[in-house]
Amino acid sequence: MKLLEIKDLRARYGAGEVLKGFDLSVDQGEIVALLGANGAGKSTTLRAISGLVPHVAGSITLDGKSLLGQTTEAIARLGVSHVPEGRRVFPGLTVRENVILGASNRRISGADTKREVDQKFDLFPDLRRLADVLGWTLSGGQLQMVAIARGLMANPRVLLLDEPSLGLAPLIVQQVFKVIGEIRKLGTTVLLVEQNAHMALSVADRGYVLETGNLLVQGKPDELWNDPQVRAAYLGGMAAG
Amino acid sequence: MATFLQLLFTGLGIGAIYALVALGFVLLIRAASVVNFAQGQFSMVGAYLLVVGFNVLGLPYYLSMFLSVVLMAGFGVLFAGATYWPLRHRGGLPVIISTIGASIFLENIVLFLYGPSPEVLPGLFDSPGIQVGPVFMDSQYLSILVASTILVILQYLIFEKTLLGKKLQATSQDKEMASLLGIPVVAMILITFGYSAALGGLAGMLVAPVLFVSVGMGGLIALKAFAANIIGGYGSIPGAILGGLLLGVAETLGASYISVPYKDAFAFAMLLMFLMVRPQGLFGEKISEKA
Repeated sequence: MKLLEIKDLRARYGAGEVLKGFDLSVDQGEIVALLGANGAGKSTTLRAISGLVPHVAGSITLDGKSLLGQTTEAIARLGVSHVPEGRRVFPGLTVRENVILGASNRRISGADTKREVDQKFDLFPDLRRLADVLGWTLSGGQLQMVAIARGLMANPRVLLLDEPSLGLAPLIVQQVFKVIGEIRKLGTTVLLVEQNAHMALSVADRGYVLETGNLLVQGKPDELWNDPQVRAAYLGGMAAG
Repeated sequence: MATFLQLLFTGLGIGAIYALVALGFVLLIRAASVVNFAQGQFSMVGAYLLVVGFNVLGLPYYLSMFLSVVLMAGFGVLFAGATYWPLRHRGGLPVIISTIGASIFLENIVLFLYGPSPEVLPGLFDSPGIQVGPVFMDSQYLSILVASTILVILQYLIFEKTLLGKKLQATSQDKEMASLLGIPVVAMILITFGYSAALGGLAGMLVAPVLFVSVGMGGLIALKAFAANIIGGYGSIPGAILGGLLLGVAETLGASYISVPYKDAFAFAMLLMFLMVRPQGLFGEKISEKA
């Protein structure tokens, strides 16, 4: 069943068209990877879903309900949780406070909040000892864990993950993708934007490859691996790994 | 020594007013990246509302004060709608100019309604004050200090101990991320404007019995509060409080020990000194460190 469905999505910043009309869908419980080079329009796609791009045309629906024209806050309340590029952890708030604020899109009691924060700390054990540490003191990997934990606190219908491996050491990248694998077990639906195609396709059910705002190809991970055009353009050296 | 302690007390009382107005400045800088040059006029409007409530309508003093604070909060929301909202996507400078325009507009509206003669308000208490050791604590300065302390504690509790406070902080730190989490950013900004106006208005009401209520009363308070903000560290809440108190004490001691006519010069000399020696202020970060 299609949970998130995008049809003929077009977006522009000023005069420049960034997304030039493509379709994409994410089924309930699926992890879908959105791949492509820098400037392909991956992050813009996520920003368009979250209502952060002012000039968008086409259609974006969540469970049949249109997201176009809705405010970012309203989209969050409908169950879209966006973990943006750069983590964007609030630097002056503690880890615990950051995670708690992830539930701002829903009505939840203090006791339930506490219980759910504990559950997130079970998923990311390192965060438990950092609970009272301010955001600005954390390392890149720790920030990414906080950002994902905060995103999960929204109890999302779909989690949008933008470049979770960006700027992280290889060992930390493996940890982050291990966690994304755990998220799959929770049944959370994920649309994952990544430049690290090798890692993204290792956890994804399906993938889409964008090129300068157009859809180049889509398919299951092994189909993408075996597509010579995609291998040459995006997966290249990574595919051998 | 007794004279020094007496002056210190008076300076802290005046400084507490600067601190309250400076807090209003800081909150708006943090929540909406707005430098509100009408913050001083909030104090003036608040004081005139108290004049209307108490002198004109004959309402009880404390009720007038309470109603004035509530009206100021509403006024802050209207102010945001008029000066900030239409220009919010156009960068900082247009909003600053808009608040300067609003400050001139507010002064002239009040001048039109009340004329240039100052209005007089009685103090909060009938008693002139209490003697504590060598220091005579004037009831008005004492009430300013007590009210400011309560407000600072209240603000700390709201910002640090409540979910609303955390949402306000999150909004001030990263508005786009806050909206992605479903935090109603517009409401948070309007709350901050309302709170900031109420704070400024209350400062005006507290200082009114000491300075008289006049159209120009807000301008100088705002300048001092802005200086306090720079001295304490641009955008720092503890800095605004400490900067305000330091400024109040410096100008009171300077006026008493050196020269009364140059009272205001001491405050701005202190500002210049900080700008030369420690431009980031007491609690601020060096801009180069942010790059």
